[in-house]
Amino acid sequence: MRNQEIRTQRERHGRQAVAVLPIHYPKELLTALDLLAVELWGPPGPPRGDDAGRVQSYVCSVVRNALAFLAGGHADSVDGVLFPHTCDSIQQLATLATDLGGWTKPAFTFLHPRGADRPSARRFVEAELRRLAGTLEAFSGHALTEERLAAALALHREVDAARGALLDARARLPLDDTQLYALLRRGEWRWPADHLVELEAALATLAPEPVQRGVPVLVTGYVPEPAALLATLNGAGGYVAADDYAAVGRRVVRATPTPAADPWRALVDRYFAAPPCPTRGADTGVRMAHLAALAERSGARGVLVHVLKFCEPELFDVPAVKQAFASRGLPVLVLEGELEGALSGQAVTRLEAFGELLQGAPGAA
Amino acid sequence: MLRRARYELAGRAAFPILTALEAWQHRLKRSRKQPGGGPFGPPLESVRRLKELMAHHYFQGRYADGAVPVAWVTSGFPVEVLRALGFHTVYPENHAALCGVQRLTPEYSDVAEAAGYSRDLCSYVRTDLGSVLSSKTPVGRLPRPQLLACCTNICQTVLYWYRELSRHLGVPLVLVDTPFVHGTASAHQLAYVKEQLEELCLVAGRVSGKPLDAERLVEVTRTAREGSRLWGECLAASRARPAPWTGIDGFFHIAPIVALRGTEACNGYYRLLRDELEDRVARGVGGLKEEKHRLLWDNLPVWFAVRRFSTLLAERGFNFVSTSYTDAWAEAGVGIDPDDPIGSAARTYTHVILNQDLPNRLDILRRLSRDYAVDGAILHSDRSCKPYSIGQVDLRERLAAELGIRVLLLEADHNDPRSWAAEPGENRLAAFMEGFE
Repeated sequence: MRNQEIRTQRERHGRQAVAVLPIHYPKELLTALDLLAVELWGPPGPPRGDDAGRVQSYVCSVVRNALAFLAGGHADSVDGVLFPHTCDSIQQLATLATDLGGWTKPAFTFLHPRGADRPSARRFVEAELRRLAGTLEAFSGHALTEERLAAALALHREVDAARGALLDARARLPLDDTQLYALLRRGEWRWPADHLVELEAALATLAPEPVQRGVPVLVTGYVPEPAALLATLNGAGGYVAADDYAAVGRRVVRATPTPAADPWRALVDRYFAAPPCPTRGADTGVRMAHLAALAERSGARGVLVHVLKFCEPELFDVPAVKQAFASRGLPVLVLEGELEGALSGQAVTRLEAFGELLQGAPGAA
Repeated sequence: MLRRARYELAGRAAFPILTALEAWQHRLKRSRKQPGGGPFGPPLESVRRLKELMAHHYFQGRYADGAVPVAWVTSGFPVEVLRALGFHTVYPENHAALCGVQRLTPEYSDVAEAAGYSRDLCSYVRTDLGSVLSSKTPVGRLPRPQLLACCTNICQTVLYWYRELSRHLGVPLVLVDTPFVHGTASAHQLAYVKEQLEELCLVAGRVSGKPLDAERLVEVTRTAREGSRLWGECLAASRARPAPWTGIDGFFHIAPIVALRGTEACNGYYRLLRDELEDRVARGVGGLKEEKHRLLWDNLPVWFAVRRFSTLLAERGFNFVSTSYTDAWAEAGVGIDPDDPIGSAARTYTHVILNQDLPNRLDILRRLSRDYAVDGAILHSDRSCKPYSIGQVDLRERLAAELGIRVLLLEADHNDPRSWAAEPGENRLAAFMEGFE
């Protein structure tokens, strides 16, 4: 599907494609320059090539699989790769693949400031955005006018608003979790305007009353892979009522103050308005308050922490998440995965047991 | 006032008495010991002074909180600002290494793991968090910090680690974030780091209760640069054949430049050590009785097995004459400039080995290999340090091909013996050494 989309965008609109590593990046810049972003979350399953062996087995499967994928020629349909400096491992992948072999087409980086929103970080982000924009302009052959940037910002605000509305009204959405995430994750590779159309179509199906009959669960983690996890959760009597996946909810910018007239300023504001994410060094207290608010708003009766093995940013927050929800009396299940192609039997059993626990909890349906 | 007096007394009176007592015990022990034996050359005389210096640091630290401002600091932090403000600094990495040498990591890590921290997290972190959560430490007592000072130039892990310390201890965290460098740092990267250093001066000044004295900062910066230069001279002594000490000695002697950088005590110690090493070079005294092969080590030491590794290698005449880890403190620190303490610190602390791309790392390994005339290299693939380890598979191949040396990738962990398969690991080490014979 991704390759088909890349071909279509190239043939119909003359758009080049850029593969993008997780997690956060200024997609608005790519859209403004008519570049199709195609995100590379691994991909899941076994590594597609021997180059995975160039990275030690104690490094996360996103990095190992991505190196194998890039070096094995599986991403040759794109014209360049963007490496956001998400963590130590992806940061190292950026230099390993581009400097020591594995990727020979153009490569771009985006450096994140860590920690709190502060004036020095804002100035850095703006300069870094302008630097990246400059290299992407040269790559795409388009000039980034303020009008183009403003239009891209407006489009991505609409996309986020629609994604946010779907997640917020989850209980009234007549889709199971597999269908919901298939829709939301198409945003990782579809042209944003086309993705917006399908999001709006889904919004039009919202029922006036809740249609989800399962136990509402808050899910936090890296990426909903393998997708079978969602069907298993549904089968166990739960459904995702609130999402804090890095790949999904953590990238939906919900704050909608009056946007700044200057598009660069507006872009910086959007960057800092994103939900707290450990990979960007978010304050733990702020993040726990955000999760608690998500749980409360959605009526979640349990929390699923779905982490990727060896993913330090996520793993560091696990004790705080457990503590935060234990004090609220919400059961927490920590499930660790490795982007495996299928859900392990052990994981299925644990999810089923968690579902039983939730259904037996006070107030359960 | 009383606490300050106790802190000073601990450093100036109580500690020297304890040291003298220990020295007397040491002499007594030595007089009973049989001379000679083993593959090593005569021990360094400076070692005793090193022990005193570090023991003094930790002993005085017991009385630091309430007496002087206290900060817990990452090893790559621009400490000059804190030093100029009179902070007593504690390095959790150094403390964790000390626990690692004493094989305390499994015990402390169990505490951290019971609190929910994954065993896949860095073993320094688990050691330190376990120590904090259990209030156990081999140094008696660590002073409670008023400030946590973290710089991301060695890894992002330290930010997550210090954020957790901040949560547990209820202490403010000041961050100096140094975005990763591909090639050379851009102007906006350096401006960002410089601006954070200026913020640091204000925050640390507030915590210490006094503004930063610009003159004092210049003085400390000069001292820190001199310390790095002296440490570099100590390391450079190993260019001689035979090397006057072992790379394993270097791992231990690194402690002052990490934990006491910017103090006269640190520099005084390295002058003593340098003079002793130069004297040994002049007299042809080696770290090994017979140095047959010279090796380069990449990455952190395996603290819990340092002595074991050292002995295994030394028995066959192998010596680590250079390590990228100890070299990092000599390379970086000389870039700071007393004429521009903040601007030069921004540049220097951004360009440390782990904050730069792999071509830079390869250049360093090539240069060390040539400068120290090594016959082989061991790249420690460290489960607990991803930024240091990712890329080593390629580095191994390039070093071997370009320099024609034998290179071994050895998987272990810097602090957790549970992640070290001793028999297969030592077997690999033995096979590697046999390749030279």
